[in-house]
Amino acid sequence: MSDAALNPVRLNPTPVRTIAAKDIRDALRDRFILIVTAFLGIAALVALVTGAIALRSDVATYEAAKASLLALGKSADAIKAPEFYPLRLLRGAIEQIEIIGAAIAILIGYRSAASERGRQTLALMLTRPMRQWQFVAGKALAGIGLLAGGLALVLGGLTLLLHLLSGIGLGMDDLLRIAVVWGVAVAYTACFFLVSFILSLHMKQPSHALLLAFAIWLTLVLIAPQIGDTLDPDNQVAGGVFKQLNIAKPDQIQIMKGFATFETVRGGIEQASVTKQFERFTFAVLGIKATYAGMPLGPILIEMLGNLIWIFLTALGLGALALALPLNPDRLAKA
Amino acid sequence: MEGVSSPNWLIAGQSARFVLRERTVSLLSLLFVVLVLISAWLGWSATSTVNRIYLDAAAFLQAAGQQVPTNPVLDISPLSLMRNMSVYVALIGALSAIVIGNRLIGLDRKAGVLPLIGIRPLGSNAYAVGKIAALTGLIVGLAAVAALVAVATFLVLPAVTITAAQWVQLAGFMAVTTLYMGIFGLIGLAAGAGARSETVGLLLPVTLWLTLTFILPQLTANLNPTAAINPISALATPPDTSFFHWAAIVLGPFSLTDAYKFASAGLLDYLPQGVTSPSFIPPVINLVLATGVAGAIAWRTLTRLSMTQGEYNV
Repeated sequence: MSDAALNPVRLNPTPVRTIAAKDIRDALRDRFILIVTAFLGIAALVALVTGAIALRSDVATYEAAKASLLALGKSADAIKAPEFYPLRLLRGAIEQIEIIGAAIAILIGYRSAASERGRQTLALMLTRPMRQWQFVAGKALAGIGLLAGGLALVLGGLTLLLHLLSGIGLGMDDLLRIAVVWGVAVAYTACFFLVSFILSLHMKQPSHALLLAFAIWLTLVLIAPQIGDTLDPDNQVAGGVFKQLNIAKPDQIQIMKGFATFETVRGGIEQASVTKQFERFTFAVLGIKATYAGMPLGPILIEMLGNLIWIFLTALGLGALALALPLNPDRLAKA
Repeated sequence: MEGVSSPNWLIAGQSARFVLRERTVSLLSLLFVVLVLISAWLGWSATSTVNRIYLDAAAFLQAAGQQVPTNPVLDISPLSLMRNMSVYVALIGALSAIVIGNRLIGLDRKAGVLPLIGIRPLGSNAYAVGKIAALTGLIVGLAAVAALVAVATFLVLPAVTITAAQWVQLAGFMAVTTLYMGIFGLIGLAAGAGARSETVGLLLPVTLWLTLTFILPQLTANLNPTAAINPISALATPPDTSFFHWAAIVLGPFSLTDAYKFASAGLLDYLPQGVTSPSFIPPVINLVLATGVAGAIAWRTLTRLSMTQGEYNV
């Protein structure tokens, strides 16, 4: 008799799928996932709507100024028309995914690990004929699948709204860009899910793990980008230091050459955070950053490949760590 | 001696000691202190960089034969070096306060000691008074550490001179900071006592904090979340439309993070001229009122807490 025939795990390739399906069913049965997805949806919707209202106000101000100039017999070229790229209205929503999406991923990771410990079912599960990695992989797949579903709902709803409200509709290229952003958002939130999942599964007290995961979230999502942003000299003076000094862009670049080390340190602090990588990538793909507006998707993806690799490697590294760490029998029950 | 061993003090002292022994509370408090130190460094570093950029720009403009404007750093009050502290209080300070409030009740409920406390000959409100006193002591302690760092920074930096009026303003900022953290601590206390599960008791105030920090400023001032955590960008004037006017009237008094940021900017002298808080209630009064409301909620929840059971469902 072969070794494979003696080993029920090798005969049964579905434990990962079974555990993932069970976790997803559990999560959908209670209203938790629905509530947190709705919360993210509301935050993103508020960002989209307020952004659209502010843009409409800019357009109205421009039209009024243009009418005044034309009435005075002057050229309207003196004032700059507000640019309208519908995808730019997603800026606030992307920032909400950055912050609230990551927080939700931490909660899902915590629940995924803590639920088995809380119900004292982890030990029971591990008596089944399956390997530990299959148990962990099933749970992780379910959590990431739930995140993917929630993000698809939120981004899908926003896309529909943008298509209906923007007045010019969205093309295939726009939809492709949103799909790319969705994929990267899933990888980004998966990083936080995995951090929380690993901590909650391995720390003595799951509630301490949740708080530690939030401390990591604070550091990576809010504090590191905030330090980088605050150290930006142009953010130190209301309206921007160069604007106040009436210095044109090419001259700004010339002056900032003398601050190369400072800018490297500032950039390094920002880039240490996976959140900043996500922000830079999505802002480029959606044309939120002015230099990428109107640029085809291909060259943007090539230019932002470094950010993309950073995000996916972080997620894959954490995934590998989750699979590699042996489950500690002392952590099988709720502390 | 009798005062020290009264039931209120006993509960307050024991609760504070137990919470301080919690590693997560220590971790968050340590993170807060580290960030307060970082905020002092950030303020100094960012301001001196702007100063050096000005000197380079002035030389550049002079060489080009253009008029040299005044140095923006000269318009900045030394107090504004501490502007990043307002952001870190709004982030980690509020979160630490929530966790402290939650653990003050959570530890008792989890350990199942409420029935034991309930059978002691204590006054009906002694538990609530003790817990609120413990929270006040811990929050004041955190704020005192932040104040110490701020004072030490101003005393150590050689080029900085603070007038008597500015020391008073700094004391006012620390008082407002204590109030702001106190609001979240009291909400944490109330949620910890009122929630049926330990996780919900923590998640409810965290959700409120997320809403106040990242969603309400968007409605009242079209402020994106990342701008909301920059002390200067957070003071942007909202677009001049009827939507934002109405949002400010209806939601302004609830937008406590806005109130805290505007109160801080006013007290630390970095509020741009002509910019005002979106709420029609002055920011400091808004925070005092919110503390009163949070205190009333915490009092009501704590005095109605069942001492016969009190344990969490999973």
